[in-house]
Amino acid sequence: MDANQMLGEIREINLGYMLLAQQMLREDRTAAMYRLGIGKDVADIMENLTSSQLLKMAASNMLLCRFRFDDRLMAEMLTSHSRDRTVSQFHAAILMAGQPAEAIV
Amino acid sequence: MRNKSILSEAKQIQLASELIRLGARLQVLEANSHLSRERLVKLYKEITGVSPPKGMLPFSEDWFTSWQPNMHSSLFINIYNYLAAHADVRGIDAVIKGYKLYLEHIEASQLERVLSLTRAWTLVRFIDSRILCLAPCSKCAGDFVVHALELHSNHVCGLCNIPSRAGKTKKYAQVIASNMQQLNAA
Repeated sequence: MDANQMLGEIREINLGYMLLAQQMLREDRTAAMYRLGIGKDVADIMENLTSSQLLKMAASNMLLCRFRFDDRLMAEMLTSHSRDRTVSQFHAAILMAGQPAEAIV
Repeated sequence: MRNKSILSEAKQIQLASELIRLGARLQVLEANSHLSRERLVKLYKEITGVSPPKGMLPFSEDWFTSWQPNMHSSLFINIYNYLAAHADVRGIDAVIKGYKLYLEHIEASQLERVLSLTRAWTLVRFIDSRILCLAPCSKCAGDFVVHALELHSNHVCGLCNIPSRAGKTKKYAQVIASNMQQLNAA
């Protein structure tokens, strides 16, 4: 994959992510905040972005969405083969719900 | 308190019917709306087609600490706390939203609905009145429902340390047996 192609893909993921996040927030704000793992400030900003702002943000060379699993959650899911899959999914969900929200500092 | 405003009554009816659809018992409805008992019973019958079940609500706080219920109630309360802390929803609205998100998880991983809305509501009340509380697991650091008066400095959750017989119910054995039969037949 050459650099241009990669940048194109990143842009596409960014745009898809931002559009989805905005739609989720507009449909059901509370549920969306839980699903996206974001705080109130971030939700406000995302919800109020205009299309052109959104396009500008998406056209970046970095991904806008962040990896939400830390090592503990990763380990939990990777070891799921030895155990019941639903149980470890459950465990991961509990840990993830307990994680702090993304917020503006 | 009798409601005079039609608009607020409409809101109350909407709230009550949402609770009924999620499986709330009559006592939950009475505690969370100003509608009269008669009207709530009527509403209940209209939505579910049967009369509301009589008798007391499940009241045991020990139920929340046994293995499978603990898993489910801990997930629910974590969602509830997230919503209460970050999404500006309070009281019964947070319970409803949290319960819906919990149901979503249950459906997505094809599990049985262990925690009923009535129990979820009871759990929140138990935690508010400090009968139960949340304690971090010393291994995974996730928050789990525990008795408030127990020692939990070294609490290890039921998911880090799964009891040997956990989840091996009669029903589970039947499912396994029928799966084996199908495999043998094929």
